[in-house]
Amino acid sequence: MESQVLSWITFIPLIGMALILLLPKSALSAIKGVSLAATAIPLVLATWVYFGLFAKGTADLQLVQDLPWITAIGAHYKVGVDGLSLNLVWLTTLLLFIGVPASFSIEKAGKAYYALLMLLEVGIVGVFVSLDYFLFYVFWEVMLLPMYFLIGIWGGPRREYAAIKFFLYTLAGSVLMLVSIVALRLDSGTFDIPTLVELARQGRLTGANLPGGGELLGLQFTTWVFWFLFVGFAIKVPVWPFHTWLPDAHVEAPTPISVILAGILLKLGGYGMLRACFPIVPDAFRTFAFALAILGVISIVYGAFVALGQTDFKKMVAYSSVSHMGYVLLGFAALTEWGMSGAALQMFNHGTSSAALFLIVGVIYDRAHHRDLNGFGGLAQVMPRYWALTTLGFFAAIGLPGLAGFVSEAMTLVGAYDSANPTFKVLVLISTLGIVFTAAFLLWAMQRVFLGKLNPKYAELSEINAREVFCQAPLLILCVVLGILPWYLLDWMQPSVQNLVTLLSGGQG
Amino acid sequence: MNQAYIDGLRGILPEIALTVTALAVMVLDLLTRGRDSRRVGWLALAGLAATAWLLFAQWGNSPRTVFGMVAVDAFGNFFKLFTVAAVAAVSVYLLCDRRERKHGVGEYYLLMLGAAIGIFFMVSTTNLLLLVLGLELLSLSSYSLAGFHKGDRRSAEAAMKYVIFGGLSTGIMLYGISLLYGLTGTLDLSLMAGAAGDGLPRSLATQLAASPVPVGVALVLVLSGFAYKISAAPFHFWTPDVYEGAPTPVTTFLAVASKAAGFGALLRFLGALFVAGGVQQALADYGSRIGLLLALISAVTMTLGNLAAVRQASLKRLLAYSSIAHAGYVLIGLSCMSAQGFSAAMYYLSAYYLMNLGAFGFLLYFEGVTGSDSIDSLKGMGSRAPLISIVMVAFLLSLTGLPPTVGFYGKYLLFVQGVDAGLIWLVVIAALNSVVSLFYYLRVAKALFLASPSERAAAPQPLLVGFVTALGIATVVLGIYTLPLQAWAERSLDLLQ
Repeated sequence: MESQVLSWITFIPLIGMALILLLPKSALSAIKGVSLAATAIPLVLATWVYFGLFAKGTADLQLVQDLPWITAIGAHYKVGVDGLSLNLVWLTTLLLFIGVPASFSIEKAGKAYYALLMLLEVGIVGVFVSLDYFLFYVFWEVMLLPMYFLIGIWGGPRREYAAIKFFLYTLAGSVLMLVSIVALRLDSGTFDIPTLVELARQGRLTGANLPGGGELLGLQFTTWVFWFLFVGFAIKVPVWPFHTWLPDAHVEAPTPISVILAGILLKLGGYGMLRACFPIVPDAFRTFAFALAILGVISIVYGAFVALGQTDFKKMVAYSSVSHMGYVLLGFAALTEWGMSGAALQMFNHGTSSAALFLIVGVIYDRAHHRDLNGFGGLAQVMPRYWALTTLGFFAAIGLPGLAGFVSEAMTLVGAYDSANPTFKVLVLISTLGIVFTAAFLLWAMQRVFLGKLNPKYAELSEINAREVFCQAPLLILCVVLGILPWYLLDWMQPSVQNLVTLLSGGQG
Repeated sequence: MNQAYIDGLRGILPEIALTVTALAVMVLDLLTRGRDSRRVGWLALAGLAATAWLLFAQWGNSPRTVFGMVAVDAFGNFFKLFTVAAVAAVSVYLLCDRRERKHGVGEYYLLMLGAAIGIFFMVSTTNLLLLVLGLELLSLSSYSLAGFHKGDRRSAEAAMKYVIFGGLSTGIMLYGISLLYGLTGTLDLSLMAGAAGDGLPRSLATQLAASPVPVGVALVLVLSGFAYKISAAPFHFWTPDVYEGAPTPVTTFLAVASKAAGFGALLRFLGALFVAGGVQQALADYGSRIGLLLALISAVTMTLGNLAAVRQASLKRLLAYSSIAHAGYVLIGLSCMSAQGFSAAMYYLSAYYLMNLGAFGFLLYFEGVTGSDSIDSLKGMGSRAPLISIVMVAFLLSLTGLPPTVGFYGKYLLFVQGVDAGLIWLVVIAALNSVVSLFYYLRVAKALFLASPSERAAAPQPLLVGFVTALGIATVVLGIYTLPLQAWAERSLDLLQ
């Protein structure tokens, strides 16, 4: 069991999906029960792995399971975790578990909905645990289809447009990734990601075994691979200028799906860079780190600035994601231990805080059936408990000291400031603008929705109910706890982060 | 009769079985006077099963040539089994298609079996004369099949277009063949590739050294004929009209069996002339130029096919353009001019078999339900006929090339060979093309599932739905467990030894 625990976490939702498909359409409560169980068991297992099975002090990949899969091309079923992926696996199982009760208000075609949700979890967890590039790609693509239908069938008025845009953008990125994977496979003879990283460390992954001898159109093989992979992942993050699918998808998706999109799917991009892009072409990464940092800063400032101009509550939160994920890229590019830890931490913290924000939007949308920030006012008087939770969520997103977002953003910025490249200091200065904008749009939104004169239309709104509190509570608790005790994440990540920074700086690992 | 003759007959037993089946079908159809076409269909299926059994019996024998022109080898075996499977599938579709009943479907089986016999000789001959004969037998049967709805203008128009384009391209091809004959003094491909000495027959390599232009012209002309058969640009214009006008089972036959036959013959032609073990170095070098030409054709074909498919309102026409695009993908494998490239192309063809047959089966089913082939008419049918609609999504994924399906694995193999052959630009174009194709394939999924549920009731068609579902399961399972198909494609390359 212990050596297969990651496979169980990945595939239990698939068993859940099979069960759901076998149940009749009318047995909705049974379907919900199966979904709860099929997401709860992976959460329990992931928690067990996090606190029990995983050994903290090492950067090694753990709980590795390696089986030959397609022998003709040397693809393996190889899964395992290290400090970088484990927290994201746990976050995935948590958010999917929350996603089930958060979906209870959805009435249309419940059977298909929960079946697709289960399939989505398989794809996401699969990406986080894959150590074989072929397997990684298969999982990467498996999650697209359920996402397409989840947005396209259960989404808002412009759902068809949003769903296909999401699918096309992601696929455009991932086919370039596939070309890179093919080239890497031909050059190295392996799909094994740790082996590829090791080859790259020894400087043996240069495309010398390919026709053309590692050069194409005057550019080096590694440069091509780097940009192809980076764009594939950057679309997912999303980094400016690849972000335009995100506001559409987030706004049109039903609440639980927005939660999963913002909470986890965006992290796949950042995680992909750390696992399967930067360490495989470290030289190219160093060459272009500064360009990445600039993209990161643009995302931070631009995302926050555009959020300031939104009148749609959900769209505002969506753009705040662009801004927050910009820190991740900036932290990576800084190539310091603080920057890298901060960025990895930021991914987790954004996963909890943005998920909480989308749930908050969902609560009010379910009641008022619109999300116009200017259409409310004085809701604090009718829904004081809701207001309290929102305040906590907003402050976590702003990055108030004592809450999780503060730790990760501060670490990222300090790490970037410490970067070997002095120009980063300027970038850090510019990106503080993002913090100001973020505070501005969130506080302004709070003022428009909750403070001021009560809009008489909404005097009768019911207070947030127990189910909604149950969904939000774990996320907000995490925001608080990790603001005070961030080492519950950092200690787990640190050896892997150190190892990665050494690898990427070209030193001896 | 002498022993060699009997041995030769033994080599073409599957062809004989097929011919006997065709004759039996004709007689039975005459005896029942076209009243009981189902019985004719089952007879055809039984004959096909017997042929398949004979083909399996030949499997694993060492390659040989009988009667001096028919190669009995695993490569031919691959395409013959492919054809038998495709014709069998189309027969199942015919059995299920209620709308075809009124057209006296007995002859359908006869014509299709005739076409299959043509394909059998086409893919197994090393002699260009027999190749043309096989091709013509296939073409003539296909023309009549396309015009089968005698009273229907679209069908008649399709047949007419098909005849004109087909006649023209066969003419071009024959002219190329006559040039090749004039240059080398032989119609046998292996002699063209490897004859020694200065007398006749003369090797193409000798001729190439003397004057390259006529050789190039002859090859381009022959390739044009093949390009027509596989509907590659710029000889693809007939495809959408013919595919749309022909009855759907016939379209299925044209898109799957006829196209694969074109690829089979082309692979043998290229393999024997440029890739096989015995060819002279000058020809192998020249082959890489032909490869580049094919790469260009491939890029143009897939791009044109995909871009045109985006705008189609009819699912049938959309599938026609998509089949053009897929011919472009398969050509990647051919332009590698290597054994691995060829085997990747053959793997992709078997993937194409599964997913395209499935998609056409779906089309047939919904034509029966809605009486129309427009994508709009599928709106909201996902909840009315959930099983076949979900299976269709698997085909769409596979056609796009998304894992875990055969289509993805096939594309992966093609990409690997393309990059390995130094055609990375082509691979990037193909990769971007799959993004375009996703857009139009998703329109089908969108109509099925994203629109509000339809009121129309779906007719139960257990045989058809069951068959299509089986294809769908194979599409996914063989995409995860890829060994059988890949091993089959690789072992079928004995023609290159």
